[in-house]
Amino acid sequence: MSATYLYLSLIPQALIASMLEPEAFGRYYAVGTKVHSRGEAIFFELDPAQLPEGEFPLELVPERCVAKADGSPKKSVYLAIYRVLSRVPVSAMKALHLVTRDGKTLSLERAPYEGDSQRRAHLYQEFCPIDPMVASLLEPRDFCRAITDTQRPVHVPRIVFSELALRELATDPINGLANDLPYPNIPHLRDVLASLLSSDKKQSKLVLKQVNEGVFYRTIRGGFYVGDQSDFAFYRFPAVAHLETHHYNWWRSAQAPARDI
Amino acid sequence: MNEPLFWLAPAAALVALVVARLFFLQMRRQDEGTDLMRQIGQHVRLGAMAYLRQQYRIMGLVFAALALVFAVLAYGFGLQNPWLPFTFLCGGFFSALAGYIGMRTATLASTRTTAAARSSLGQSLRVAFRSGAVIGLTVVSLGLANCVGWFLLVNWLTPESADNYRLVVITTTVLTFSMGASLQALFARVGGGIFTKAADVGADLVGKVEVGIPEDDPRNPAVIADNVGDNVGDVAGMGADLFESYCGSLLAACALGAAAFVGDADLQGRAITAPFLIAGLGVMASILGVFLVRTKEGADQRALLAALSRGINTSAVLVVLLTLPALYWLGMPNLWGTWGAVVTGLVTGLVIGRATEYATSPSYTATRGIAEAAESGPATVIITGIGTGMMSTVVPVLAVAVGTLGAFVLSAGFDMAAVTQGLYGVAIAAVGMLSTLGITLASDAYGPIADNAGGNAEMSGLGPEVRARTDALDSLGNTTAATGKGFAIGSAALTALALIASYLEVVRIQLLHSGRVVLELGHSVEVATRDATLPDFMAYFDVTLLNPVVLAALFIGSMSAFVFSGLTMQAVGRAAGKMVVEVRRQFRENPGILEGTAQPDYARCIEISTKAAQREMVWPSVIAVVTPVAVSLLLGVAGVIGLLVGALCTGFAMAVFLSNAGGAWDNAKKYIETGQHGGKASPAHRASVIGDTVGDPFKDTSGPSLNILVKLMSIIAISVAALAVS
Repeated sequence: MSATYLYLSLIPQALIASMLEPEAFGRYYAVGTKVHSRGEAIFFELDPAQLPEGEFPLELVPERCVAKADGSPKKSVYLAIYRVLSRVPVSAMKALHLVTRDGKTLSLERAPYEGDSQRRAHLYQEFCPIDPMVASLLEPRDFCRAITDTQRPVHVPRIVFSELALRELATDPINGLANDLPYPNIPHLRDVLASLLSSDKKQSKLVLKQVNEGVFYRTIRGGFYVGDQSDFAFYRFPAVAHLETHHYNWWRSAQAPARDI
Repeated sequence: MNEPLFWLAPAAALVALVVARLFFLQMRRQDEGTDLMRQIGQHVRLGAMAYLRQQYRIMGLVFAALALVFAVLAYGFGLQNPWLPFTFLCGGFFSALAGYIGMRTATLASTRTTAAARSSLGQSLRVAFRSGAVIGLTVVSLGLANCVGWFLLVNWLTPESADNYRLVVITTTVLTFSMGASLQALFARVGGGIFTKAADVGADLVGKVEVGIPEDDPRNPAVIADNVGDNVGDVAGMGADLFESYCGSLLAACALGAAAFVGDADLQGRAITAPFLIAGLGVMASILGVFLVRTKEGADQRALLAALSRGINTSAVLVVLLTLPALYWLGMPNLWGTWGAVVTGLVTGLVIGRATEYATSPSYTATRGIAEAAESGPATVIITGIGTGMMSTVVPVLAVAVGTLGAFVLSAGFDMAAVTQGLYGVAIAAVGMLSTLGITLASDAYGPIADNAGGNAEMSGLGPEVRARTDALDSLGNTTAATGKGFAIGSAALTALALIASYLEVVRIQLLHSGRVVLELGHSVEVATRDATLPDFMAYFDVTLLNPVVLAALFIGSMSAFVFSGLTMQAVGRAAGKMVVEVRRQFRENPGILEGTAQPDYARCIEISTKAAQREMVWPSVIAVVTPVAVSLLLGVAGVIGLLVGALCTGFAMAVFLSNAGGAWDNAKKYIETGQHGGKASPAHRASVIGDTVGDPFKDTSGPSLNILVKLMSIIAISVAALAVS
């Protein structure tokens, strides 16, 4: 009998059972079977044993996630589509899978987090449960703690985000070179960073309410983070040289022109 | 032929053919790589050959029909030169043969270049460049051999006479060889341009933009058609274009040389030998230059460019150095003037090449300005690109203007009244510019070989070090292509000028043929048609700007360049639309393609591009052929001259504008991809992709096709001069 996998999709949020292995699931999830819809995807493979009991209808999995009459595997059984991330503990999250618009998958394993106390300005792209771009003076773990702090009026129960490169803007937001940065409205980003660095009133500021350009893979700094008040996990994103050598097809696909041309 | 130096030309053509054959065999012996590499190469090769078969089938029908018309006009009504049906067919056949050899060589070489790149950059450069040299040397050897062969044949079969016009008649007869070559070039350039851009735009719009797969991804059904298109446009198209320019300039120089020294048979012989001699020396210099293109392993971009420049520059310097003693030995009158015209032509070509590079290279401000404009969105990219393209006409147009004046004045011995000698100098300048065609075309044809090699490396999943080597070769090819385009455009302008001048010599022959031995110039002034100067003809036919017929024809000529460009551009839009529908269909109906479990139907996309190219090139071809015929019939000689001048002036400037605007848009996108203005995936990048897509038909379809239009209209006017005279 084929194995059954549980996946936590972040774009959009969903808990999905599937008989497909991560790579095949990524391909299916990004491009579908009829190629009528396409889109980037990010999902975690989950450990069912770590999921809280009674939170999801896992009893449906052996019943519905079975091979079809022709022997082909069941590709997806949706188990939840609303507030899923908040109900899945970080401990249940295994590998993180990044899928490009044309269905190429890169898998990242958890890595030890070493912190980044040297740097003052950071830029974060949030993926789930909301998807803004935020500039912050907090390093990733502190940012995660702050945004999930229930004492604050604005908070989320759990968050997935990546850090983005700022190049020279990290130290000199007004005059620093930003040639290589693909983010929209760079002048606004400069203003936000300058405001953050010149005053201690705020530790984080919104740059964009919603990012429509997809994942900025080319300028990811460090990697992806998932966490809440008690738990925190880091998934290191490979260096460009490593991607060009070992994951060339995925890397080329990740850099293909954006969708809205 | 009494001049011993004349025989250098056929000897050089023979040597070039032998060297080309040796290079071809050398390339065939190279390793073709893995099974997947062979398979991809095979797809491209079969696609290219399928396209050529279809094109040659249609071309064969058109040529047969036109040859029949010419035969009826010549033998039934006595309105045509009786040689025309044969020279016409022969010109078309050898141009097509050069195209076939070029395509075969390029498609065989790209896989081997990829295979060589697995071990060494130097070795891959050698394979790619020497394969380009096969194409360059084949074009010049076939062109030169045909010009020599036809001249000798017509000379042999034309009865000896004391008539001073015998050699003028012979050379203007041989000039019609260009017509077949020119029409074939139009098919190759327009058809090739439509094919390549339909595939390219179709592949990009669906594959890259809609589906999000990268360039040169084997899952894209149009990717092989895109690779085939590179060969169809840049190998067969460019080869046929320059084959025609080469033969046209050579034969126009012969005709003008024979006319310039009509009173002295000995001088006539030398004036006819001179262009052949320059061409022969150029072929030998090109062969030597090809052997100088080599580089060490680990060479960077600068070293690669230096290797290529060494070959091209050495050839040019050799032509300059060898021409002077050769012309001296030939006993050319006004030695320094004729040599000066050769140098002027070469320098004009180099200046246009450099100006093209300046206008389109991301190293300079013009292209960087477009990249900067991309930050404001696609509209400003388009506006800035069009502006940059328009401004880029300044240097090439001035270069041709100064080159034309310089060659004229030098060759006429600073006597502005010696019009025929001056125009002979202009034709010699065109011959000088194209004398090193063997190596300049090699560097141009090398581009698509390197480009296809890069595509093959991508699709075959070769390692990063191999891709880095093929990328370096491809990048070099983009730089050399700018110079090649400069030579193609500049030589087309000078050749067309020489052809317009030759037109009046053909008119003289037709007047004599129709029994008009005296020209009445007004005010009771008469001059014998035989002795009339070109200004006399201008006066006789009232070719002045005050003549409304000339003005009207000027407008029509100008308009024809726009209509021709518009038709070719719309053709690309329609053909690309069909390709988009097909690529979408394949992705929709066969999901396995995107999953990588099923192979796309590459052949269907090639078929769509091929059929679209054949269908869509009908109206542009009709415009090019019918306009000079209609103007000949309706407006006479004055109208034809107005038409040709209008088409040349507008067509030349437009060709430069379209080619450079397209090239600048393309390189602005590449510049942004290096990490400027937000780099890949930034808003500026998306805007630049739109500019690049708009520029595709500019630079690869309409712009290069205009080169042919101006030459083809001139040569058709020459061929139907009898209609204008009658």
